[in-house]
Amino acid sequence: MPESIPAPLIIDTLKDTFREARAALAAEGVRPRHDHLGWILSVPDTHQKTVLAALDKERALRVLTCSTEDEANAVAAGLWMGGEPFVLMIQHAGLYASVNTLRGVAMDGRVPIFSMIGLLSREKDKDPRESRHSMVRYCEPLLDVFGVPHARLEGPDDVHLIPEYYRLAQKRRGPAAVLVGLETA
Amino acid sequence: MAIKPEDALRAIAAARGDALCVPTMTTAPAWRTIAPNDLSVGCVGFMGGASSLGLGLALARPDRRVLVFDGDGSLLMQLGSLATVAGAAPRNLVHFLFKNGVYHTSGAQEIPGGGGVDFVQMAKGAGYRAASAIGELGELKRRLPSLLKEEGPIFVELHTGLAEATPMTAGMGTPFHQQVERLRGQLIAS
Repeated sequence: MPESIPAPLIIDTLKDTFREARAALAAEGVRPRHDHLGWILSVPDTHQKTVLAALDKERALRVLTCSTEDEANAVAAGLWMGGEPFVLMIQHAGLYASVNTLRGVAMDGRVPIFSMIGLLSREKDKDPRESRHSMVRYCEPLLDVFGVPHARLEGPDDVHLIPEYYRLAQKRRGPAAVLVGLETA
Repeated sequence: MAIKPEDALRAIAAARGDALCVPTMTTAPAWRTIAPNDLSVGCVGFMGGASSLGLGLALARPDRRVLVFDGDGSLLMQLGSLATVAGAAPRNLVHFLFKNGVYHTSGAQEIPGGGGVDFVQMAKGAGYRAASAIGELGELKRRLPSLLKEEGPIFVELHTGLAEATPMTAGMGTPFHQQVERLRGQLIAS
């Protein structure tokens, strides 16, 4: 059975992910131009609201709230060109809304956009692909159609997937995602 | 008399220094002739994304000026980006809007609201530090030095005619991923 992941665990994992990313950028010759570790590009997701609330108090991670997921993807491309690490935090509905930008920016632009996608309304006792909610049910198949690698965060033991899929996005120069199964704690 | 978009771009090119530039739609073909392969990345294939692309660059590189060459039809597709840019408040961003009242690339159909949409008021309402309209090339040339120096985000609505070429007549140019890679390489090296 899936479990909720505590927000502090996700935030600590994001910090470690960004530290590793900064080290990789430094090895590439990128000079740091900011004090913070990285950017969270967010279109607020009910499912990850405890993480977003905790991020408000974080100085090491800079949150930029975007009006739409289309914007978040395009902002990400600009940050990528400028040598800044970032993570998108969005909801499945936002994925559906921004499919053209996912294609145009992350895929055609070969920009390593790593996203944490909240599966709002996912039932605890059901596989997401069998959910009675279409917004839950279609998320993984949509990512499959576009060839976007993805994994499920089903509990605290799965947070290692955050840095793994972040690295995967960098390695394949394209999008990768983790799906947040239950509302964060 | 409306400004010729190519004239506006030439004036900006002459004054921009080492500013990063983000053309989109009908400004893209002219820009790649005026400033070939030069610290620019075009927003083609995800219409409406130019200001967000520019915002990302501006946030990543606060030491560089970033100039966005947006279109009115494009901006309408992601109008919320005005609030996102204003909220992020990048001091180094100038958002030029080439306003011609039509979707030129797809056949010059009138945009919703036509030429009457007041984007200056929208940018002001969203919270840009400054927003104004320019209807003559001479005025643009006079104001460019300060526009490229003053604290942003700045919004400038340019009243233009139609460009000589569109991405449909002139082609898309260098593939987007190559533009991304090239600009990233230039920025990392600087």
